[in-house]
Amino acid sequence: MDEVARGKAVETVEYEVEELENIFALLVLGVFVGIPSPPIQITMDLMPEMQHECAVMLAKVSTAHDPLGELFSVLDID
Amino acid sequence: MSEIPIYFFIGKGGVGKSTTSALTAVHLASTGRRTLLVSMDPAHNQCDIFGMRFSGKSRAVAPNLAVREIDAEYWIRRYLKETRNHLKRTYAYQSAFNLQDHFNVLQYAPGLEEYALLLAFENTMQAADGQDAIVFDMAPTALSLRFFSLPSISLVWLDELLKLRGTICEKKEIISKIKMGACEFETDRVRKKLDELIQSHARLKSRFMSPKTHVNLVLNNDRLSLSEARRIARRLADIGIDITRIVVNKMGPEETTDDIAETFSVQQLSILPLVPGGILGLSNLQRVVATHCDVFSAIARSGR
Repeated sequence: MDEVARGKAVETVEYEVEELENIFALLVLGVFVGIPSPPIQITMDLMPEMQHECAVMLAKVSTAHDPLGELFSVLDID
Repeated sequence: MSEIPIYFFIGKGGVGKSTTSALTAVHLASTGRRTLLVSMDPAHNQCDIFGMRFSGKSRAVAPNLAVREIDAEYWIRRYLKETRNHLKRTYAYQSAFNLQDHFNVLQYAPGLEEYALLLAFENTMQAADGQDAIVFDMAPTALSLRFFSLPSISLVWLDELLKLRGTICEKKEIISKIKMGACEFETDRVRKKLDELIQSHARLKSRFMSPKTHVNLVLNNDRLSLSEARRIARRLADIGIDITRIVVNKMGPEETTDDIAETFSVQQLSILPLVPGGILGLSNLQRVVATHCDVFSAIARSGR
């Protein structure tokens, strides 16, 4: 029971972290998709450490067409 | 260990940055200071001035004097290769598999040229043991200004990215605590890299603003050159870099510096006369230095 409650409690925070990581990835790697970006060497220097953020960003592309649906699912609204 | 005095020579294309920096380097060497003259200008005029071939490796041209040419393309290639290898080590095999094509394009990315110059500058400073002075013959205005402003601009971005990363790390710690009750957390590699980048850019910024760094602005006594010099001084002041001396090069015998003195303080001015036919070869450089010893002493003194 406690484990279920813990799981529920962190789900929302995990979603928020994923969103923040996506924003971070877009800020750093935005140059590749036409978003204003930091000086190129910052992108190049951080890119090798950002495999996880790249994966999050790519996964977000597939849910980008239905952001409300994703939010409702996180908040457990049917 | 005390910082080595460095002398930058910047200004509009064609005003005589290369000649003035070569003359200053010859003067410094003649006063017994082990001097390195570094050409950061992609046009690389030093080989024509000294009548010798130079490369990325320092070449001695006179007692106490060596010259080195920076090849920005070499530094871009080296940097991209290091980044690509780092990516291959940290990414899963499939993700890093097709990187070569992207890197072939990235070598032409805007902003890499000035970063290549910064890397070469850092490398020169790290290998400067045994030198008493380093003279940098800079690229024309646009590239030089981007070179000087890159650390400041990068720090603005890096500070903001670090704040965002801090928020991400805090939330990740909360998740770990709730899920596993973990007290020790894995160091975030991105935050560590951001810290490293902030340190290296802050170091470069403070080196540019150090009292041992002397930015000499070269101009000719004409309106175009003066207008550009004003803009350079303003842009550098915006990022906290002061002009040490104004070198008025190629002054005609009848000319006055009245217009220049309206913008810059007379005490800052060093005046070099027009030498018909230019100054080519070490012996001619030495002759001009001997004739105008006071001018170069003033430039060098600011570096003591």
